[in-house]
Amino acid sequence: MKKMKLKFGIAAIVMLAILGFAFMPAQKKITVKGSDTMVILAQKWAEVYMKSHAETVVQVTGGGSGTGISALINGATDICNSSRPMKQTEMDKLKDRYASLGVEIPCAKDGITIFLHESNPVKELSLKQLSNIFSGKTRNWKEVGGPDEDIKLYGRENSSGTYVFFKDQVVKADYAANCQTLPGTAAVVNAVSKDKLGIGYGGAAYAAGVKHCAVKKDDKSPAFVANAETVKKGQYPITRYLYMYLKNRPTGEMKAYIDWILSPEGQSLVTAVGYFPVK
Amino acid sequence: MKKITHLLLTFGLIIPMLFVSTSSKAQKQVDELKKEQDTLKENVTTLRDKISGVEERIATAEGDLAKLTKIKLSGYIQAQYMHYEASNAYPSNVFMLRRVRIKFQYEPINGVVFVLQPDFLPGNITLKDAYVQLNDRWLKTFSLFAGKFNRPNYEVEYSSSSREVPERSRVIRAIYPDERATGAKLEIAPPKIPLKVQLALFNGNDGLTILDAAGVNINPLNNDFDNHKDFMGRVTYTFKLGQIGALGIGAHGYYGKIKANTLDVLNSDYTYNRTNDNIGQLVKKNWVGFEAQLYFDFLGGLALKGEYIFGVNGTPGYTSKSSAVSPMTSVIKNDTLTLTTLTTITTNSRPAIEKNFQGYYIYLIKNIGKRHQIAARYDYYDPNSKVSSDQIGIAKWDAAVKTTTTDKFTYAGTDAVIATNAQTKTVVVNNLKSGTSDIKYQTITLAYTYYFDDNIKIMLGYEIPLNKKVGVNDKGVGNVTTAYAVNGEPGVYDYSNTIKQNTLTLRLQVKF
Repeated sequence: MKKMKLKFGIAAIVMLAILGFAFMPAQKKITVKGSDTMVILAQKWAEVYMKSHAETVVQVTGGGSGTGISALINGATDICNSSRPMKQTEMDKLKDRYASLGVEIPCAKDGITIFLHESNPVKELSLKQLSNIFSGKTRNWKEVGGPDEDIKLYGRENSSGTYVFFKDQVVKADYAANCQTLPGTAAVVNAVSKDKLGIGYGGAAYAAGVKHCAVKKDDKSPAFVANAETVKKGQYPITRYLYMYLKNRPTGEMKAYIDWILSPEGQSLVTAVGYFPVK
Repeated sequence: MKKITHLLLTFGLIIPMLFVSTSSKAQKQVDELKKEQDTLKENVTTLRDKISGVEERIATAEGDLAKLTKIKLSGYIQAQYMHYEASNAYPSNVFMLRRVRIKFQYEPINGVVFVLQPDFLPGNITLKDAYVQLNDRWLKTFSLFAGKFNRPNYEVEYSSSSREVPERSRVIRAIYPDERATGAKLEIAPPKIPLKVQLALFNGNDGLTILDAAGVNINPLNNDFDNHKDFMGRVTYTFKLGQIGALGIGAHGYYGKIKANTLDVLNSDYTYNRTNDNIGQLVKKNWVGFEAQLYFDFLGGLALKGEYIFGVNGTPGYTSKSSAVSPMTSVIKNDTLTLTTLTTITTNSRPAIEKNFQGYYIYLIKNIGKRHQIAARYDYYDPNSKVSSDQIGIAKWDAAVKTTTTDKFTYAGTDAVIATNAQTKTVVVNNLKSGTSDIKYQTITLAYTYYFDDNIKIMLGYEIPLNKKVGVNDKGVGNVTTAYAVNGEPGVYDYSNTIKQNTLTLRLQVKF
């Protein structure tokens, strides 16, 4: 009799365990891929969101905006982070594949910061000077008020949205062949922090251990350093939106996550990380 | 005192000795250190040289790699099984390669692109695209194309690798055969405005079949057929509908002419229009089209796309002349041998015709999740909107068959000599009758596509072409019939009925 009871007891426990697993709410997974500039922000969002939404798993990876958009087109990610707007050709691919133009969600603002070594005497540069430096026309610091030394260029890889944005908006030509490409803004900051003659560019959130160079629209304009005020007022000349792209309008858990990102709580993390909120 | 002096003397002797000994040791150490320093210096120099060598090699490799990154390679293969329901189709089911394309793209410097795209179909390798594209580097708005490329039209430019159904609609296949044309094109696409303007000049005869009197295509290589260049223009604009979707609208026009290749030109209804001064004069190819694409986010992607095209499409005719001499009779009369010969001069012509046409297509596409897509298309093509279906096979133009015989006596006499009595006969054949090329078609195409991933998809398509029925004659037979034979068994298509021509396609596409 006791044996029977034990057997029933074990069977009941097993059944309950099976039922428990069956009815346990499944974890909802959201994959986010793209811009390296946005990785720390996206990770922060994911980390904080998952604390209050245990049923949701948000998986964040970088790779660059171009890589993220490709992943969105081939269905490898739910959300693509991009530090540049989607190109028409990319939109066409999305249209061809999903009969949809995708959904663009500006989720933060960024001022692309010019990084210099802390010992570099140069304090400000105009957009024209930056263009000449990164296109290779200006090769010596002396030409822009620095020491008589060669300029060392550090930039991003061509899959990066920052690379494309900086090229289109500032360089407006091909990058100089001697511009060393690095995987991620953190790597650019690290390289410049160790090179007295280095100059690099990247998202504002990464600019620790290097000097921020003030930027002016032209020779007659005042120079500004990227900060919340200058970006908000539109004074800092190299600002941009950071975007999230989706294939279709979000529903369910994805909608909840995006709504939360755009909420005051999500936007407060934007500031905490070093970027600027959209609202 | 002596002791002190002794001690002093001893120290005086020992200290210098010690000093000398220490100093020589130090000197030895310094020498050793110098040696080590020299060795280190040498090593550092060697390492530096090695690093420089490696750097040089890396720079060379990077240079080579940079050149390679300027070359882009893409392409796709469409392998398919087809089942034809048409009774004149034999074999009625086949495995085949529909498209085998590799696109080579080379951008040596920013803004200059060379594109080459052959189609490697077994036994029929053709060059699809071959052009140079010059992009303006400053405004990023203008692009100039020169070579062979797609004609500016929505369905033509929409890649076969992306299309939701197996083939393009009938009207597009008729007016833009082979899709591509040789010429030059200017594209204006401002980066921040969803506007695109395309202006192109083409030879105008690409992909056309132009028959001679013997039924041979005289345009197999698509070399220009006349001095006239055809103009094409297209304008498109996309309105964003917030997060719901987008609406693209556009229009395109074709203004062209082609050599009539004969003297007589007919109207679309087969009535006589004019006689040209010479066969080099031209017939019209003018039409306009209006297009719209609506993308709507309704439980995933949903698209509604369509285009309506109408105008005049001229078809060249032909004309040929031949003469043959044949002996007819020989008669001896009054010692004179009279030979009669007949010279027959035959003119075989077909008039050119300027046909009014119209056609349209509508696509409905729904994506379900990431992997499934269903599509339906309805397309209509009326190749001759001036001849009603019951007149097809009746409407015709027939220049009277002229037979003229002329006698020509060259000699007649009483001596025994040979004389010739020549005759000349002139035959003119010149007519054109409405027929299968005027029959209107509506086609329903259904397709389901499953995307394994971004590179591989499988499509099941079913095309149902429905001909509009032609009238019947007093014997109860259709005014248009075509005979065929399959394996020696004769058959007839009577177009007063709906001819079954459905096609099933199961296609596997791999794209890279």
